[in-house]
Amino acid sequence: MAAIPKEKPSRTDEARAEFARYKADVKARGKPFYPYAMFHDTIMSVFVVVVIVSLAVIWKWTAFGPHHDPLHKGLLGGEVAQPADPGTTSFVPRPDWYFYFLFYLLRIFKWPESVFLGTIGIPTIALVLLIMLPFLDRRRVRRPSARPVAMVAAVLTIISMGVLTWKGATAKEALASEIKQDIPNWVKAEHLPPGALPGARLFASAGCTNCHTYNGAGGSQLGAPDLTAIGTRNLGVPTQIRHLQNPGSVTPGSPMPSFASLGPQRLRQLAVFLEASKGGK
Amino acid sequence: MATTYRRTPTKAELRRQRMEELINFPLDWVEERSGLVGGVRYFLFRNVPSDINWMQTLGSAALTAFLVQAITGVILAMYYDPSASTDPHTGKPVAWESIVNITDHLTMGWLVRGMHKWGASVFIILMFLHMGRVFLFGAYKYPRELNWIIGVLILVMGMMEGFTGYLLPWDQTAYWASVVGINLNGTAPFLGPWLAQFLRGGQEISGETLTRFYSLHMLVIPGAIIALITLHLYLVIRLGVTSPPWSKDAAGMEPEEAEADGRRAGLTRPVPRPAGASAMQAEPGGRE
Ligand code: HEC
Ligand code: HEM
Repeated sequence: MAAIPKEKPSRTDEARAEFARYKADVKARGKPFYPYAMFHDTIMSVFVVVVIVSLAVIWKWTAFGPHHDPLHKGLLGGEVAQPADPGTTSFVPRPDWYFYFLFYLLRIFKWPESVFLGTIGIPTIALVLLIMLPFLDRRRVRRPSARPVAMVAAVLTIISMGVLTWKGATAKEALASEIKQDIPNWVKAEHLPPGALPGARLFASAGCTNCHTYNGAGGSQLGAPDLTAIGTRNLGVPTQIRHLQNPGSVTPGSPMPSFASLGPQRLRQLAVFLEASKGGK
Repeated sequence: MATTYRRTPTKAELRRQRMEELINFPLDWVEERSGLVGGVRYFLFRNVPSDINWMQTLGSAALTAFLVQAITGVILAMYYDPSASTDPHTGKPVAWESIVNITDHLTMGWLVRGMHKWGASVFIILMFLHMGRVFLFGAYKYPRELNWIIGVLILVMGMMEGFTGYLLPWDQTAYWASVVGINLNGTAPFLGPWLAQFLRGGQEISGETLTRFYSLHMLVIPGAIIALITLHLYLVIRLGVTSPPWSKDAAGMEPEEAEADGRRAGLTRPVPRPAGASAMQAEPGGRE
């Protein structure tokens, strides 16, 4: 079948013609990879290795070189933190810096209505868009000045990633010792009975306030709910204990870690405290 | 490589000829049986656009950072012990102790671990910068769409490498970051809970999780990254790299576009283009 002559070449035809032109141009007027491009590549690679070695040296000599204490922190952080301890009573759930933006997204989308957006929704959409980019932007033009939409989108993406990373980096986890000093205020504001006090102390020191806020104390991470008035929901002590032992069994898919290692007695104290927290009403 | 002489070769010439053959023998041997020498020669002496710039070294910089990770990682794997069980003498987890041992007692261990730890960040940054340069140049357009997609997959794999490696020292920050990270994976619909269960190797994060992360971190993901990088570089060599789009002399520019630009009209582009001009030939017409 004879091809129907076209009025105008299609976009694909144009792209193919451009690529053929590119190949011919490079062949005729390009320069050989070795030594020209390879020279620059080599300088850059040496620079990269030097940067990596320098970081390692700064890390060592400011952190633990002179001290021989594995927990001493230098300019770039310590050698290691305390050994992992599932039964710990305080911790800072903090990933490596390039995940800060993901972590901070979770502070924006609060549990439970929209947390799915923060954990999986937005990152997945962003990733799909990134993969699809060549098919979303199919014009042939490559000059940045002729691609205003792409450039504005890129700048907005960079700014939001930067802001999220910065916010994630500077987000302060309240210290257990500071939170504990707040307990007398909780007793007043919430009319806590004396029986709830051991639970309150545990709550302040077991790391709950890394994620939850209570009476204005603590930081909200991962979209964990404010627990000031958790008692008004009358979930009951057994349910509270079950949730603390295995959050996923009460709230499917909960990112809250299990606190089963605290042991039944302390879990009961916590549950009593939670149930007694009626938000002052 | 036999040279033909019109006269009888002198002794010295014969000796030189024999030396040349001897030196070339291994290369010729390999070339005859594999064609690899020709491949390397093509790789080295293929032409690239004459106007490529420094931003285009970021890809090979990322490759260098990856190689640093691979080499230091292999050394670390010789001394690291991925066990969460407690050392009966010290009461500390074995994995944590092996990390402290590498950093404090192994000769140059601090350097190897330090380079691996900080190289990871450098690698991630370089991947992002390289991606930014590809975006700026519009180099993801036809016919390089596939290479962009491969690039995104490498980026994702690289971040997964960071996530799995972070747990290995088995210290508090690592442990709790992984607890939360895995739980977050668990919030995904359908596959989420299954994925979380798989990563943990059970209901709770434990020694089982550590060995799983270790195997992912040093076998599965690096294997995938190496395969993807190989594909990536194959496509880079096959398709060639783009000229900077603002270049006055970009390879592949339309002839009208080129002529409209007064500065280069009649200067650089010989019309008609010399067909199949030699790669090493000097560039025509008074450029640089
Ligand atoms: C790593 C962050 C994190 C930490 C630490 C944490 N939680 Fe949570 N918590 C969450 C998230 C996220 C939710 C919402 C999902 C859910 O209900 O499980 C939640 C929910 C809750 C709820 C509400 C359950 C409901 O049904 O609404 C209670 C009560 C609670 N946590 C108590 C605690 C206590 C007590 C501690 C300390 C022992 C603690 N949490 C530590 C993240 C955390
Ligand atoms: C381990 C990580 C990576 C390595 C080692 C790598 C390596 C390279 C190298 C050596 C080049 C040649 C040109 C240059 O250096 O700029 C290149 C080009 C390219 N890379 Fe990557 N890359 C990586 C990651 C990525 C990522 C994350 C993306 C995008 C999502 C990407 C997309 C591309 C594209 C589209 C090209 C062609 C560019 C052009 O023709 O101008 N790469 N890559």
